[in-house]
Amino acid sequence: MKAYLNAPIKEVITKFPEVAGILTSYDIGCVPCAVGTCLLKDVVTIHNISENKKAELMYRVEKAIYPDRQIAKPVPVAEQPGSKKEVLRYSPPLKALVDEHDLIKRLLKSVPGIAKYLRKNPALDKELVLNIVDFIRKYADKLHHAKEEDILFKYFDGNSDVLKTMLADHTSGREHVKSVVKALNENDRESIILHLEGYAALLTEHIRKEDEILYPWMDRGLSVSQVGELFTKFNEVDTVTQKGVAEKYRKSIELMEEQIITE
Amino acid sequence: MKEACGCPGSKMQDFAEEQKGAKDESGSRSSQLRQWPIQLHLVSPEAPYFQKADVVISADCVAYAAGDFHKDYLKGKSLVIACPKLDEDQDTYVEKITSLIDAAKVNTITVLTMEVPCCAGLVNLTTKALHAAKRKVPVKSIVIGIRGGGVLSEDWIS
Repeated sequence: MKAYLNAPIKEVITKFPEVAGILTSYDIGCVPCAVGTCLLKDVVTIHNISENKKAELMYRVEKAIYPDRQIAKPVPVAEQPGSKKEVLRYSPPLKALVDEHDLIKRLLKSVPGIAKYLRKNPALDKELVLNIVDFIRKYADKLHHAKEEDILFKYFDGNSDVLKTMLADHTSGREHVKSVVKALNENDRESIILHLEGYAALLTEHIRKEDEILYPWMDRGLSVSQVGELFTKFNEVDTVTQKGVAEKYRKSIELMEEQIITE
Repeated sequence: MKEACGCPGSKMQDFAEEQKGAKDESGSRSSQLRQWPIQLHLVSPEAPYFQKADVVISADCVAYAAGDFHKDYLKGKSLVIACPKLDEDQDTYVEKITSLIDAAKVNTITVLTMEVPCCAGLVNLTTKALHAAKRKVPVKSIVIGIRGGGVLSEDWIS
């Protein structure tokens, strides 16, 4: 079992497909993950599930891997108050990142409308596409992802598979944006739409993983003092190096939404 | 014996029986207190130990209820104590906490209170100070139970 605990989750699921259903039944969303390099043991640890549920999950996974093995069924123990999965409450700096997701999600939600708009109009609306690229690069990437990569992630082990998975998502997102720009230069409307849709699918899942799993896990590991440091550093980004960026792009998304709706 | 009123903060409760099974602890612990004074009326927000510090604002009773107060809450932090029920001139408390946020530029504030309702006044004082301050700072509220000193709730409130 130890070997599988230290195996990437995708390998385990491929070899033992029943594990996918078990993880899903505990709201562990590794099955659709494109990367899947997180180790089975980390996947279990990173999710905020009670000790009883964790024991039950591990029992079921072990039974799926070794159906003929005699494994003692875990006996539930009395749990401490607060050990059950609770409503997500973030520390102030991580709450700020969750709030930044809201604006990005508004763009992602608009992608089907954008695709329809681009297909409907005879002339390719290059300005709209460039505005979307500008939003992704300056707001989603330079403001938001940079806070994660340059500040937040530095408080954790950069070699962990969990962080590697998140960084791989950032890289894939940047590749989609590059492809959108390339397609725009080639007037390739369908390729623009294809990569915008790819970006939306990737980021929708990425944001869900961060909001529901990564940030709560990080909050459990950060000390009070580190939370204060992060809060100060994020404020510096918002008020000094990236001053006015959030407001500028809030307006940009509002204009884009209006344009898509009125067309 | 007749109780003075129905206030949960003043209600008599005897839980000595519950402590009988507690393990016997020998040896001594070192104090984590690194400053003096600590009472909120007496402290100066300009004191060096408050500058950019992680500050604990504790209700007076907390240290007696939480068995590991020094280890769990005080280590590495600066401290002020107050009683939101009995202390006078609480406007001064709000001003001092505002100064801790703006002048001392504290890194974080952790407000420790007991579970009795009147103790929530200390959280309210801190929230008022936070609204009055020019800076924003993360504030955590931890509520301690009167029986056993366990954590009943722990939330970031700003």
